[in-house]
Amino acid sequence: MNNRYAASRFAPWVVGLVVTSIELDRRSLLVAGATTGVAAIGVALPGEAEAASNRYFKHGVASGDPHPRSVILWTRVTPTPQATPGSGKGPRVRVRWQVARDRRFRDVVAKGSFTTSAGRDHTVKLEAKGLRPRTTYFYRFLHKGVASPVGRTKTAPAANASPRNLRFGVVSCSNLPGGYFSAYRHLARRNDLDAVLHLGDYLYEYGPNDYGEVRKPVPAREMVSLSDYRQRHAQYKQDKDLQALHAKNPFIVTWDDHEVTNDQWAKGAENHDPETEGDYLARRRRAHRAYDEWMPVRMGDSVALGDGTRLFRRLRFGRLAELSMLDLRTYRSEQATLAVTPVPSPDGSVSDPERTITGKAQMGWLKKSLREDRAQWKLIGNPVMIAPVVFPPLPNDVTKAINDVTGLLPEDGAPYNVDQWDGYTADRHEVLNHLADHGVQNTVFLTGDIHSGWACDLPLDAGTYPAESGRSVATEFVCTSVTSDNLNDITQTAPARSSLGVEAAIQANNRHVKYLNFDDHGFSVLDVTPARTQMDYYVISERTDPNATVSWTASWATKANSQAVHAVDRPVKERR
Amino acid sequence: MSRVPDGSSLAGTAVRVSAVRVATGPTTAAPADSGAATRRSFLKVTSAAGASLLFSAALGAPVAGAAAARERRAYVLVVDGCRPGEIGSGLMPNLQVLRDGGMNFPRARSLPVMETIPNHVMMMTGVRPDRSGVPANSVYDRDEKVIRDLDRPSDLRFPTVIQRLNRNGFTTGTVLSKEYLFGIFGKRATYRWEPAPVVPVSGHAPDVFTMDAAISMVEEFDPNLVFVNLGDCDRMGHSDLTGTTLKAARQAALVDVDTQVGRFVDMLKTSGRWATSVVVVLADHSMDWSRPDKIISLQPAFDADPLLKDKVVIAQNGGADLLYWTGGADRRAAALERMREIALATPGVLSVKAPKRLRLGPNAGDLVAYCRSGWRFSDPEQYDNPIPGNHGHPATSPIPFFIGGGHRLVGKGSYSAAATTVDVAPTLGRLFGLGEPRGGYDGRSRL
Repeated sequence: MNNRYAASRFAPWVVGLVVTSIELDRRSLLVAGATTGVAAIGVALPGEAEAASNRYFKHGVASGDPHPRSVILWTRVTPTPQATPGSGKGPRVRVRWQVARDRRFRDVVAKGSFTTSAGRDHTVKLEAKGLRPRTTYFYRFLHKGVASPVGRTKTAPAANASPRNLRFGVVSCSNLPGGYFSAYRHLARRNDLDAVLHLGDYLYEYGPNDYGEVRKPVPAREMVSLSDYRQRHAQYKQDKDLQALHAKNPFIVTWDDHEVTNDQWAKGAENHDPETEGDYLARRRRAHRAYDEWMPVRMGDSVALGDGTRLFRRLRFGRLAELSMLDLRTYRSEQATLAVTPVPSPDGSVSDPERTITGKAQMGWLKKSLREDRAQWKLIGNPVMIAPVVFPPLPNDVTKAINDVTGLLPEDGAPYNVDQWDGYTADRHEVLNHLADHGVQNTVFLTGDIHSGWACDLPLDAGTYPAESGRSVATEFVCTSVTSDNLNDITQTAPARSSLGVEAAIQANNRHVKYLNFDDHGFSVLDVTPARTQMDYYVISERTDPNATVSWTASWATKANSQAVHAVDRPVKERR
Repeated sequence: MSRVPDGSSLAGTAVRVSAVRVATGPTTAAPADSGAATRRSFLKVTSAAGASLLFSAALGAPVAGAAAARERRAYVLVVDGCRPGEIGSGLMPNLQVLRDGGMNFPRARSLPVMETIPNHVMMMTGVRPDRSGVPANSVYDRDEKVIRDLDRPSDLRFPTVIQRLNRNGFTTGTVLSKEYLFGIFGKRATYRWEPAPVVPVSGHAPDVFTMDAAISMVEEFDPNLVFVNLGDCDRMGHSDLTGTTLKAARQAALVDVDTQVGRFVDMLKTSGRWATSVVVVLADHSMDWSRPDKIISLQPAFDADPLLKDKVVIAQNGGADLLYWTGGADRRAAALERMREIALATPGVLSVKAPKRLRLGPNAGDLVAYCRSGWRFSDPEQYDNPIPGNHGHPATSPIPFFIGGGHRLVGKGSYSAAATTVDVAPTLGRLFGLGEPRGGYDGRSRL
């Protein structure tokens, strides 16, 4: 797959719209020709070489899915030089692990050993149990007397606890060839996070120069085989910035499409050609297998490899918050016809009630977790945007009337991007109506995927918002990409210039969209208290600069029971 | 014999007891509150605004509140039908200040059935309807074979915190704007205000009069506990039928109730009561609006079914229908299954529940049907419920719930505990050092 635009998470309409806006804006037109002029860099960085200096633990350490009394610990051991990722080589070995209250491991509270082999690509994944709620721990692995780097992790608060505060790093869309993971580095410098949420597109499948030219992907081809997927995971896990973030905080991850391949759905993908790449489901099984091996996450009921591929799951943080992580790829129906630039998709099938983005089981599970109100904030780790982004949003009644005649319009207006919930409006209606029907308060969707920062109300009916029938029933914060292309990368225009037109156009037609930043890369920090949730948007100076700086750009919050976002003039103060 | 007041007013207050009439017997239905006096005194009070207010009092109740210094005062102000988000909307600055200065419970919920009478009863008993006997506003009374409001003092079968306070030497007052609330709480409180003047359609007194009465009651009698229902928010939601002016009327009601609460807080502060006061503000339920084309009538559907015809009675509670099987016990199981099937197949019906699961007790009938947000029930006939604003269904369960006041037990901050209406009595019990009622509370103190 060589089409950069199709490879991006931006639908072609966005590119079309920005081109239109550039045509209207002479200054933008002038800068549109300028390129950032970044040459491809394929050599290992000093940091990556540094990581490789550790003979047995080249891929760092990681933790994930914190529960009140347990957390998942992960590493990969390289017992012999030949035992490279994806090679299938190397002996069966035993690795010891320790969890301590202190960095020097004087107070070890849990320990054990884990046997791994080439059969699981020498990855080590286990659940450390018997821990105390909401406690910081240090962990390490030992092989032949050599210790791994020390990781730090934190358990979740007890189910009946009422924490006054929770704080999460929020990231998505980290394409290694697209640039350096400075966002991870800066996030890793914080000491006040309970966990990092990765909302998908943790890694990308493309071959060299297909999508990003700053660094070279390993292997130097699109990942299709199990060995390919393992090698690609291994490459990402050798990035020093990602290693730093993994070592500092537990991750809570879900996947989007690129963990398998672009625009995947239940039985296929845009970037999969059965003629040359074989059976899609077989490819997906390989991708899921590598993900299960290489990510600190529960798939299925446990950390055991191969006990299932169910990624949607719920994590509790006392009475303050519950986090439902969604899998919106594995069970979804095929995307409706993609839009033709720059005309929004007129395909009425996006409203077909037979089509689903969640699948039946996950929808039932999600609705149950929302209805049961076990915690105040119902946070949803949501791989693709749920807020309608449409043109024009007509009241549902009007759309229905037009459809009676033409059958043409999707019920929520003409969507721009049918790969997100806009392409599955029946499922979106089901979720949002469920919130209204059950009086569910304080649901906040945390979203990645679209390489841009957003803050939105979630209207029952975008056409009548904010009137009662179109009232907002939840909110959505979308974090931008770590490196993956956003608008000015695609159009190669100056930041903060190219996208003003498209941002204005979208907001004019979608009144529930309150904040939109199409230009920057970075990370977000979500702070949760009983009074409100607040998303602080941080941006890096330049993704092609390995030493990029970071700055705060915006903060948006949702007050308890408001179901509405509002701007905040400063980020939460970092606790030292 | 009650003491005859001397007519003098309390120093610093503008309220004056101007006359008293001693009743020699009950003037309404037979009293049910055990142990309470069957005779009452009527106290006529002139408010600051010059209006004449009539209170009734338990026989032997002290007339001058200044008689004993109060170390603990509690005021429960129910903003009937208020949505939690409305407090922060900018229309209610006084309530917002009270909320932000005290303990806020943003996760708070009304309990089934999300109607006025059961939730007021839950507030004052601390127990669920299967113990209090009050599951809804409207029920089918199988003995009398009539659908009626639960507005009789005898309908409430669990000791209220009002009665328990009285027994422990405290004094209490009720200022309830709605006639049916006045009805069910009856003469339980030491001091009672009978809502007046009452708006004929809505059956409630406007907030300004209610608050006049609440302030006068505190200034004149200074009960330890005053339970106040402010009905305007709810009634403006209900009684505006045009749809187009609904929002304006609702907003006006929000602004007005905020002004009234502001007056009350000002009175507590200027009179020096604030430092010993706990002010609980909450709603009994929220509100949901529906259009005339989103009405559910189950009765015709039941009557079209051979098994159910003329054998199902529906007590309609806005967003909840209580369904009563009146046929033979042998066919009950089959009938309930059929009722469930028909209800769930009806557009707008959200769910059908067994009353036991909702802890409603036998008064609530055999099944409870809830509607979706944006819908309402109208039973038995399509024109029986013309009002657009309704509650009773799960969409209307989120409520504001916060505790203000200057008492040392009142903390500050937001809490993610799942507070409910049934927590009010335990909260009051904690403040006044009352033990638990027989069988314990179903709620818990939020102090």
